[in-house]
Formats: sequence, structure tokens, C-alpha cells
Amino acid sequence: MKREKSSSILIVVICIYLILPLLLTFFYSMFQQWNDILPSGFTTQYYQQLFADSRFLSALVRTVLISVFPIFICTVIVLLAMYVVIVYLPGLDRIMQVLCMIPYAIQGIILAVGILSLYVDAPEPFSNRVFMLTATYCVMILPYMYQSIKNNLNAVNAPRLLETAQILGAGKLRAFFSIIVPNILSSIVISMILSASMIFGDFVIVNTIGGSYFETAQMYLYKMLAQSGQLSSALIVLLFVTTLLISVGAMALKSKNKSSER
Amino acid sequence: MSYIQFQNIHKSFGSNEVLKDINLSVEQGQLITLLGPSGCGKSTLLRCLAGLEDVTAGQIFLNGENITGKSPKERKMGMVFQQYSLFPNLNVYENIAFGLKMKKLAKDKIDKRVKEMVLMVDLIGKEHEYPYQLSGGQQQRVALARSIATEPQVLLLDEPLSAIDAKLRKELQTRIRQINRQLGITTIFVTHDQDEAMILSDVIHLFHGGKIEQSGKPTELYTSPKTKFAASFIGSYNILSGSDFGKIIGEERNAQKNFAIRPETFTVSPNPLPFTEGCHHFHAIVESHISHGNVLRYTLCTNGVSFHVDVLFRSFQLFEIGQKLYLSVEKKNCLEI
Repeated sequence: MKREKSSSILIVVICIYLILPLLLTFFYSMFQQWNDILPSGFTTQYYQQLFADSRFLSALVRTVLISVFPIFICTVIVLLAMYVVIVYLPGLDRIMQVLCMIPYAIQGIILAVGILSLYVDAPEPFSNRVFMLTATYCVMILPYMYQSIKNNLNAVNAPRLLETAQILGAGKLRAFFSIIVPNILSSIVISMILSASMIFGDFVIVNTIGGSYFETAQMYLYKMLAQSGQLSSALIVLLFVTTLLISVGAMALKSKNKSSER
Repeated sequence: MSYIQFQNIHKSFGSNEVLKDINLSVEQGQLITLLGPSGCGKSTLLRCLAGLEDVTAGQIFLNGENITGKSPKERKMGMVFQQYSLFPNLNVYENIAFGLKMKKLAKDKIDKRVKEMVLMVDLIGKEHEYPYQLSGGQQQRVALARSIATEPQVLLLDEPLSAIDAKLRKELQTRIRQINRQLGITTIFVTHDQDEAMILSDVIHLFHGGKIEQSGKPTELYTSPKTKFAASFIGSYNILSGSDFGKIIGEERNAQKNFAIRPETFTVSPNPLPFTEGCHHFHAIVESHISHGNVLRYTLCTNGVSFHVDVLFRSFQLFEIGQKLYLSVEKKNCLEI
């Protein structure tokens, strides 16, 4: 009982620690002045201003798109590679692990500059900045996607489940996608959310590769910081709400899948 | 030709040869057991039959058809694994129905068959529960139901009862035997437990080092082991060198030979036994005793040679440590191996 109480207190403290900065940022964005203990001049003008700015909306849409595409591409590639490794070439598992972990050790700026210098003069579509950015994000999120999926595959004993499904008459591909994938859906969704939040928060790579060609919300925020504290606070709150909505959407999709399976 | 036939099967993993020229036949409807210690190749042979492993050399025939190169799906077999291997995202009903769906049966047929299976393995009321909500025994019964739902030609059981407690294991042993008889399904059971093999099997194939050491009916294997390994693995034989055996019975014996004597074949008495033709008579001192439930196992010593004797646990047969006992054993029960 005592232990439960202390755990609850700890959770509450952690929640306050995490929510407080966001809450204060939100309050700051809703008032014109905050020079004393309490803010004054309640307003929604900063939010109105942001929603009225087509540059902001374009940047937000670009950010969502540049987060979604690499995640889907990377998920499909990792799952297919895992399928091949589990079913046909288990010996390649270690090599795949090493390959997937390499990007983890590379700093974002090195990755971005390296890719830019390698592909800037390459033929289309490789020299296209959006293509380059998408591919770079695929590489950047690879270790997180791989490790999360791999751990879950180990936990469900994927090779044995696959064998069982095959004996019961399922083909290898069907067995993988109808039995293994639903069982690792949680880790797929969590790694997707983790990757989305990483891409959403990235400034270094998008600024280096995208530059003025591809303005994302982070770059827009960087420019806003010099203009107004309240405006940039409102922008931070909106970005948080967007990532939250993406996460909730992904989790809801997963729950829907699970309940429809049942 | 037998229903299942393994012809000159070899299987290697790299340089490690796991199966060495296995020739084995199984008749239709039989329940046979592949018995042996860990790493002897019994599970590998089962996996080769299921199509989960390719053989390095040799051929496997099922009902006269060469199935060596066929995929698991094409072999139409049912298999139960030690770790149950139920699909965690599917409930009991869906797990049992999975193989039937793969066969593209009509929904009403699937429903009927699943209900039959649920009834057979006594899981009524559990249809909508998920594997994590079931006990180990219940999970294994679901796995069993799932494997026989598709009416496979052969049922393969790879140490299915190893992770289950003793009481439940006995129940499931009986159920497996019932299913085998009721459906007439050819069943191959892999185990390292000799008691389990004795209870279940029509025929036992004893494996050792990738080879079949001895095959036969359970009683044959138990009463007539052909090798030292068979004697040590089946039952709790006293395996004595010729010279040790000679010391016990007070006669000279060839030191190169080994003798195997089952501990329950001795007649034991605190008083001298009357001479009987065809028996060895000798005496021994009690060194220790332990209880195996209804059986008492004594360790006795004669002329410095220790051996075990089993007697039923009856109060009048409790002998003291250091007590002198008179023994006799029929010569035919002293097997030269």
C-alpha cells in the first residue's frame, strides 16, 4: 500500500515536471504581457496570426508529410528485410543488425553534409532536395525502427510462430503478415511515433539539406523566435498538438485493428 | 510399404552430423515415440518429416509418395510444439480455426469443426479467451485441437508435455492416446521421458548420437535392452561389468562383458532363501535407501560392489542400514549386453 502511494507520488511529480514547461508556454502564448507574477492581457491573436499565415500552414503540412513518408518507407523496408532474414537467410541477421545500427552513431550534421556533398550533383531524382531529405530521414530513423521491431520479434518467437502457421497451411508471406505483423504491431506503432517525433523536432538535417527549398515548421519556428516570444510559444504549442494528434491517431488505428481482429 | 518411411536419412548442420543414416518405418494409425536424451536428433527427424528442415541426404515417403522436397503446407501434417506456439493475437476459437481458414472451408463448416475440437479437448466456455488467459495445460490442449482440426495425415508431437506439471501431464498423456485411437491418426511423439514413452507408445525408437539405438514395443525395450546405453536409458538397470557381476554372484565372469539387471527382479529377504533352480543366490549389506513413492530403492553392497534393488513400499520390508539381506535373481534376468 505504502509502495503504491509512493509510486503514485513519483508519477505525479514526473508528470508535473513534463507538463509544466508546456503549460507555461501555453499561458505565455495566451497573454500579451507577463512581466509580473501573473500575466495580463488575455488574447488569442497569436494563434489567429499563425492560422492566417499561409507560410505557417504550408510549413506544417510539409512537416507532416516529410514525417509520414520516410516512416512508411522505412517500416516497409525493415519489415520486408526482417521477413527475408527470418524465413530465408537467418545467417544475415547479425549483418543486418550492424548495418541498421550504423546511422545511430552518425551525428545529424555529418549525415546531412555527407549526403548533400555526395548527391548534390547526382542525376534526378537523387539530387532533388525533397527526395534527399526523405531518404536521409529513412536512414536516420532506421536504428530505432529496426531495434524496436527486432526486440518484439524475439519476444514473440517469430520463427516458431511462422513454422506453426506454415504447418497449418499458410504460405510464408501470408504467415508473416497475418500472424507475425499483428503480433508486433505495438512495437511498429511505437517506433513510428518515436520516429515521427524525431523528424518533427529536427532542424539540423532539414536546414542543411532542405534549406530555403523546403521550409518546415522547425525552420519557421527558428525565424519566428527572432520576431515574437508569444508567437513562437503559440507555434510550439501547435506543433505539440500536431504531434500529439499524430500519436493518438496511430494508437487509435492500432486499437481499431486489434479490436477488429478480435 | 509402410505408411511413413524414412530411407537413409542424413542431416547435418555445418560439420555437425545430427542424423546418421536413419531408416525407420511407421504403420498407419500407430503411435510411435522417438525417445532419447537432448541432442540425439529425435526432434530434428520430426522437423524433417514436417518439412521444417531439409534432409542432407535420404528420402521420406508418406503413403507411398516421396515428400522429401515438399513444403510443410503440402505435407498436410499437424504439429504440436513444446512451447505451445499459439498465436497470441488470436483467441482459442480463432487459433483452432486458423488451419481450417487456410483450407478455405465454408464458415459454417469451420464453426462446426471448431466446436467439435473444443468439445474433444474439453475447453467449452474458453473459446473467446486469449492464450495469455489460459493455463499451460489449457494452452497445450488448444495447440492439440488446432493441430488435429485440419484432419492431418500425421500428427507430430515435439515434446508437448515437457513444460507441464506432472498431474496435468498424465491427463494429457491419456488424452493424446485417446485421440490417437479415436481418430486412428498416425502419431509421432518425441520425448526424453522414458516413462511417458512407455505409457503412450505402440513402438519406441530409442535414439542415441544421431542413430537409432534400438526399436521395439515398450515391454521389449524395457525387458531386453540390447546395448549399455539402452539399458541405462530405459528403466534403471544395474549395469555391471563382468568382474563386478562375478563378485556379486560369487562366480567368475568375463570382465569384457557387461551385465544389466533390473532392480525390481531381485527377490529380497532378511532370512536365507530356499535354493531355486535357474537363480543366482547371494547376500548383501544395506548401504542406503530412498523412497520413490510406492517403491523403496535400496542400495546394497556385496564384496565391495554396489547395486540397486527396488521393492514395494510395505512396512514389513523396511530394512535397516547395515542389515544383512539374502537375495536371489533369475539368471534370465541377468542380461549380457
